[in-house]
Amino acid sequence: MGEQPPRFVTVWVPDWPVTAAGFAADVPAAVMHANRVIARTSAAATEGVVVGQRRRQAQSRCPHIELADHDPDRDARQFEPVVRAVAEISPRLDVIEPGWISLAARGPARYFGGDVALAEQLIATVGKELSVGEQVGVGVADGRFASSVAARLAVRHRKPVVVADGESPAFCTGLPIGWLQTLGESDIEFVELLTRLGLRRLGDLAELSAADVLGRFGQPGVHAHLLASGVDIRPPSTTDPAPERRLDQVFDDPADQSGAVIFVAKQLADEVAGSLTADGRVCTRLVVLLESEHGERSERSWYRSGGLSAPAMVERVRWQVDAWISLPKGSDEELSGGISLIRLTPDEVRADTGSQLGLWGGQSAADRQASRAIARLTTLTSESAVTVPVWRGGRLPADRYQWVPAGMVDLDRRTRAVSRDGTGSGPSGPWPGALPSPSPATVFTDPHPIEMLDEQGATVKVNGRGVISSRPAVLRLLSGDASSGWRPGRARPIVGWAGPWPVEERWWEPEAHRRLARFQVVTDDHNGYLVIAEHQRWWISARYD
Amino acid sequence: MGLAIESRIALTTDLLAHDLLAHERTLPLAESFADLFPEDGLVRGRTLTCTGPAATSLALALLAPVVAAGSWLGIVDVPTVGLDAASEFGLPLERVVAINREQEGGEEAEKHWSQRWPDVMAAAVDGFDVLLARVPAGVRPSAVRKLATRVRQRGAVVVVLGDPGPTTCDGVLHGEPIGWSGVGDGYGYLQQRAVTVQASGRRWPGHGRRELLLPAS
Repeated sequence: MGEQPPRFVTVWVPDWPVTAAGFAADVPAAVMHANRVIARTSAAATEGVVVGQRRRQAQSRCPHIELADHDPDRDARQFEPVVRAVAEISPRLDVIEPGWISLAARGPARYFGGDVALAEQLIATVGKELSVGEQVGVGVADGRFASSVAARLAVRHRKPVVVADGESPAFCTGLPIGWLQTLGESDIEFVELLTRLGLRRLGDLAELSAADVLGRFGQPGVHAHLLASGVDIRPPSTTDPAPERRLDQVFDDPADQSGAVIFVAKQLADEVAGSLTADGRVCTRLVVLLESEHGERSERSWYRSGGLSAPAMVERVRWQVDAWISLPKGSDEELSGGISLIRLTPDEVRADTGSQLGLWGGQSAADRQASRAIARLTTLTSESAVTVPVWRGGRLPADRYQWVPAGMVDLDRRTRAVSRDGTGSGPSGPWPGALPSPSPATVFTDPHPIEMLDEQGATVKVNGRGVISSRPAVLRLLSGDASSGWRPGRARPIVGWAGPWPVEERWWEPEAHRRLARFQVVTDDHNGYLVIAEHQRWWISARYD
Repeated sequence: MGLAIESRIALTTDLLAHDLLAHERTLPLAESFADLFPEDGLVRGRTLTCTGPAATSLALALLAPVVAAGSWLGIVDVPTVGLDAASEFGLPLERVVAINREQEGGEEAEKHWSQRWPDVMAAAVDGFDVLLARVPAGVRPSAVRKLATRVRQRGAVVVVLGDPGPTTCDGVLHGEPIGWSGVGDGYGYLQQRAVTVQASGRRWPGHGRRELLLPAS
């Protein structure tokens, strides 16, 4: 079969998001995305909580389950110590996503005395970084795909899975075809098509002739066929990138805010991705090097089989910067100054087969169309006018999401964690102190000033302990603006009200400190408002439109 | 093996073509709206308007199943949309894109935006199956007609929030709240609202009227 696939070892920490969220393995807990479980602790698993389940189902299986919202940045940040520990064994490693590392096995295996010894060494190393009871899967095989499957099976078997040299084709034959989708190599539509055609095992696909597969399924089919045959000689057309593709930027003024670094990273990423696209290639492994003004370095290699788009590159830089900034004080390589250098090196590039959009769980035609429209709208208006929501969390509706320019967000990845038939609602997990649903459908970025009067027409006051001076009876809108003075407008009798719910935010930061009280108010025309009292002034912050 | 697979491929293609036809004309419609609409789904190419004090909730409830089924939602010039509310209606936020005007306030900015608006909408219609939009006051009727043709050709659905201006709407959903439950005189919290929805317009034979609970229990 010609070329021998390189030998890989993969480390897989199952349900990483739930570990990153800080839940211990013996606490039933799950991480939700788009109203579905994407990761759960083993305690939750024994109660019947499975990945892909909706919130309600999970809660009915396990009523006392703790839920948290998915936060990819947190996943990456928390994974940093594990990456550092593994880098001690072999510095040339690829972080495929938080919880999943692949590295070339041949060198370290020779050093530690064999594949099994290497696997055990890795389990011990990674285990030290995790708390008790959390599992690690390590798999060794020929090719990245086979070793990744082996690592996941290792979790099930509770011991490392080592596929002997040259045995990968036989190992792959019996595997269900769904692994192609699980590992993000093929999109779900393609896998479903294969299943409908009766190709239920990788071996069934491998049996077909490569020419027939190419004729019927095109490039994605050939890719899947290669993996199914156990000849994962990836990347087939890797070449060393020409040195001019390596781009770096030295900061004249060391940047001490991650935002400034990300901004520069975006320009570099656009340039790198642009010059690769110009000659029909795509970067599959990106090395990001950051250096501080005091000479500390952080170097990471990021791998993505489908190719990294410019926003995907920016996202990886953001993870790396965040992880570095949040390293505990006193640890090695701790960041002590501003960042003075950033370098992006596309370490592995391959011909762009046009299939890169379809990987990672798949982009539908609608997704592709949408990303083209986003690019078009951005040129038509401006970068900051076209935005997508990012969960931030908070007690006030206006704080809970942030609109981020669409060009800064990896749109592929957003869709990835969501199941296709997903009808789920978004994250609205436990944020202590947030009001229960329903949430207001209209949220004002700038709250609208009002007067809150009691039956005698006096302004209602809220004291520091959250006690009101009298019952609110009338809500009066104010018009005008701060400079010319507020004029009283229409008054509406209040038919129902609830509160106050006090909020004290960021008391440790004098500038950002806020103390306010929230009320829900229904006026006689059956309109509901979220009203806040702050500094003895009243505002409508949202309307239950 | 080869032959069996080939015949299966042919069969699958036929099945897929059939499925496509059924889905081509309509987008999914929420169950609670089923009685209000003469068709089984949200017919592509139409423009609807949501008005009244419950307009935003109505629009979100209407659009949620469409986005949940895989379509993208473009929100044009509605910076106040409550994303928590949207996700509580079951609208997946990862397929939401907002396009807002660059500068606020002032007559000049308003004029600039109303000239830009048809182009922005046209580009959005090309990319997203459903749109939630406000129509600026000074928009030209000729530009709006051109946009309507584009919406029909592309098979998108546009939901206008508030005053539709010169836009010709295929239907109007007017939501009038009847009352809130859950909140009393200083206790409880808002739980559910009853809304009368009145459907009218040239695509509605007779006039539909229905009481809805938002959020549906």
